[in-house]
Amino acid sequence: MSQYKIIFTGPVGAGKTTAINSISDVPPIKTDASASDMTKFRKSSTTVAMDYGVMNLPGGEKLHLYGTPGQERFDFMWDILITGGIGLILLLDNTRADPFQDMRFFLDTFDKFVSDTAVAIGVTQMDLSAKPTIEDYHVQLQGMGLKPPVFAVDARVKSDVSLLVQALLYTLDPGLEG
Amino acid sequence: MSNNKKNVIAVKKPVKTDEMLAALAKAQEQALKPQTKPIANTAMASDASAQSKVIDREASTTADNDEAPKETQLKRYVIDSDEQKKSSKHQAAMQLNEKGFGSFIGTLTGIDVNDPKQFARAYYNPKEFFQGYVDSAFKVSRSKGQVRQLNSGWNPLIIFPQTDEVWLDVDESQLRAFSGLAINKTLGEKMTVTPLPQDSVNLERALEAFYSMDAFMWKIACWASKGRYPVTIDIKQPVYLKHWPNFTRLLVTPHALRIAALLVQGPRTLDNVAEVLNIKPQYVFVFISAASALGLAGQVKREADVLVQSPEVKSNKNKGLLSRILSVLRGKKA
Repeated sequence: MSQYKIIFTGPVGAGKTTAINSISDVPPIKTDASASDMTKFRKSSTTVAMDYGVMNLPGGEKLHLYGTPGQERFDFMWDILITGGIGLILLLDNTRADPFQDMRFFLDTFDKFVSDTAVAIGVTQMDLSAKPTIEDYHVQLQGMGLKPPVFAVDARVKSDVSLLVQALLYTLDPGLEG
Repeated sequence: MSNNKKNVIAVKKPVKTDEMLAALAKAQEQALKPQTKPIANTAMASDASAQSKVIDREASTTADNDEAPKETQLKRYVIDSDEQKKSSKHQAAMQLNEKGFGSFIGTLTGIDVNDPKQFARAYYNPKEFFQGYVDSAFKVSRSKGQVRQLNSGWNPLIIFPQTDEVWLDVDESQLRAFSGLAINKTLGEKMTVTPLPQDSVNLERALEAFYSMDAFMWKIACWASKGRYPVTIDIKQPVYLKHWPNFTRLLVTPHALRIAALLVQGPRTLDNVAEVLNIKPQYVFVFISAASALGLAGQVKREADVLVQSPEVKSNKNKGLLSRILSVLRGKKA
């Protein structure tokens, strides 16, 4: 049976693990370790290899949900994880100093994968930091020649994450009927 | 101990990576301490310090290069506990399906907007509805940069342009009814937009009655439209979508995501969108009404754009799989 997967990426603390947890049918497998470096300012533990969740599909198929580790030093994992992926969910933390820089970094890194598939962007923590606005993200993206969905997302809320993934799927094919 | 020694952080030999990183982090923390001053970045912050906490966040020059942050920048933001309690503003979007559309959006009599022969009459004029008055009030408030109040002889709508918020303390069913009624001349003449006196601006208000301006405008446009398109749109000419709406914070009408996905690819006429997606035109009309109200959709004006053929919609090779994922996400059992 084919292995289908959606990749969740973004910087440390953007909510990748939480987002996978929100839509996974099984408790996600996490590979966390106590943060012992700069990451500890953000949270007590961080993903060091990957997160993994599953959505059970009709007919016994499974959709695998992979979260990349946010720290750049684990970037050797990223190429492995995206192989065979059907699309990318990029989560950005609006409380970071320069979320546009984060966005450019991840879109550049996954450039080939995004051009072969699609990307949908979720901006988290907007209730803590309202700026930049979603409109500001679109301005930046238009400068890059991209028009992906960009939604404010609370990674803990299933419907937010679900809508973001749905937008990713419709970007791949607007003719889909769910 | 001298002051200089106080600031010394010792690392025991042999030096271990974790200990060195912890020492560097401590040094950074000390170095930054004197510079930390609360600053306000929202209109509410200055007078909400009791409930607010200032946070400094570091960021490296790349996404998160923990080992070698070349340049450390701080972002300061205010954790405003009141902001987090604005449930109407930050809550997840409501998603309507076809079954719930009529009862939530409202129904029309005397016209079948889904009949192509009646398309020419299937429009409404936003200026004749609450939507038009709110739109004018938003424009005035934004251009003046002033907190303003829309007086309608009904509950006042207060507009906070700095934070892109509105405040209206009414039940949603009342708002729906008011938004769906054409406003007659007598009531229209009573509608005024006045600056809110400074002493009223900072009054305590029910936090759940705050909405984002976009979400509010989107919703009242849907209720005014009831499945019609705005009079500003020529049904025979293509429309464009500037970018995806922020659907997680907006009312999601039936097929809205599909319509957005199609229109961001290129301009199309409204009936072409309905035809390509095989959906009732009312769902396209209501989406365009809401997107136009936010300035996201509009009519293609250049002749050259009209001549450009929109790309053909190609089925994804994994269409079956993608549909099955969608059905699960939307809570259906296939």
